[in-house]
Amino acid sequence: MKIETIWQPETQQRVFRELVEAFSHPGDVRDLEPHVAESNAQRAVLAALMDGEVTLADPHQRISEQDWPLLQARREISEKASYVAASGSQPPDFQPALGSLESPESGAAILLEVEVIGQGQLCLQLSGPGVDGERALHLSGLHEDWLERRAEWVESFPLGVDLLLSDARRIVALPRTTRIRHAPHASER
Amino acid sequence: MSPHAGYNFGFLDEYAKKEIRRAILKAISIPGYQVPYASREMPMGRGFGTGGLQLTLALIGADDVLKVIDQGSDDSVNAVNLRRFIEMTCPGVSTTTRTQDATLIQSRHRIPELPLTARQILVLQVPYPDALVVVEASEEKRKTMHGEADYSRLLVKLYEDIVKFNEITISHRYPTRINGHYVIDPSPIPRWDVPELDHSAALILFGAGREKKIYAVPPYTKAQPLAFDDVPFRVEDFRDEQGRRRGCHRCGCTNSFLDEFTDSSGKKLYQCSDSDWCDGQRRSPRE
Repeated sequence: MKIETIWQPETQQRVFRELVEAFSHPGDVRDLEPHVAESNAQRAVLAALMDGEVTLADPHQRISEQDWPLLQARREISEKASYVAASGSQPPDFQPALGSLESPESGAAILLEVEVIGQGQLCLQLSGPGVDGERALHLSGLHEDWLERRAEWVESFPLGVDLLLSDARRIVALPRTTRIRHAPHASER
Repeated sequence: MSPHAGYNFGFLDEYAKKEIRRAILKAISIPGYQVPYASREMPMGRGFGTGGLQLTLALIGADDVLKVIDQGSDDSVNAVNLRRFIEMTCPGVSTTTRTQDATLIQSRHRIPELPLTARQILVLQVPYPDALVVVEASEEKRKTMHGEADYSRLLVKLYEDIVKFNEITISHRYPTRINGHYVIDPSPIPRWDVPELDHSAALILFGAGREKKIYAVPPYTKAQPLAFDDVPFRVEDFRDEQGRRRGCHRCGCTNSFLDEFTDSSGKKLYQCSDSDWCDGQRRSPRE
């Protein structure tokens, strides 16, 4: 039996290092192409991070029944889960865990699949830790309510959520410290 | 499975690695916050860099080039032991002593003199992760103080130093504020290295094995040593009695952090603490 690449430790280490780069440099688009094979980026990220110690919510039923036992994560509702895997095209209809002053790390990580990362109508100007000055991020397929809700969720640092956007092959991180200036329809570069 | 040792690649099992990896990502997302994790038993005593080692083992892959230093030296017992352990348990990983060739640097008590780049990660070994421990014994209270960014008692402690000695006398582990919120203990690096944390191109990770904490200073992040407007932070002064900057007796470098020692005749000598930097200066002083 051949084990799919994303479940192999060597691939998970490489995907994790891409996540380290992504979270260290918000807005920097990382290509997981060599690691995801026939799968997709969100699934590869879940495979790299999940085990029986964490809770995962799947509000849009994106995770297949075959994958749950491999991920080993415990199912949880979106309001309480430490990880939420969602579709970015649908508006958020839940209030994720934001953590507490004493334990801000219990604020959720939200993995959002969008259509395309790196190009598109939506242009975000990012600044904050990990960004040298300012960086532009172009996207398409993200429901704009996510950005509005995120702004509320990350309002009281250190509380907040950390976003990881993905398309089929690429990932980009927006940790809670990233300041987003929203230029909704700025298509010029 | 490693053919050499019969251990999993990186010694730790995959569950341990995943837990540390999740903690690392949270640490990067909340700059300066000490993320708790279940520090594993390692085949060496706590206090010998097990926190840094677990970070390194969770990060490392076969394509990494690793450098391990202890007090700036690649050849001290602690650095050699850690490096050999990683070589044994991570087949395929190459090691180096040259700072510029490394992708992953594990260090105790120093940041290399050569400025780090965006393609490098620095892992620092930490004995005492919490800067507030000198003013508050209860961890529960310290967590609240950190959350509220309440460092008034720490500032009073520094002020008391000024009243008694006319300056802040902390020589290492200088409390440093990250991104305007959390104050970290940057591990026992000398003051000389503290400015390197500010807007570093490289990610800097801190691992405290005994205290079970992981924290981070992400790249391009503000890191300000605590100080007062009228008593600014300053680094070690290496000037002699005549006011001249002392140089390394080996390479002549006059802009590196120097170790002081006494030779057999009782004469004081100064030498670069970073041995790779010192070798580099001897090869080409203007490098």
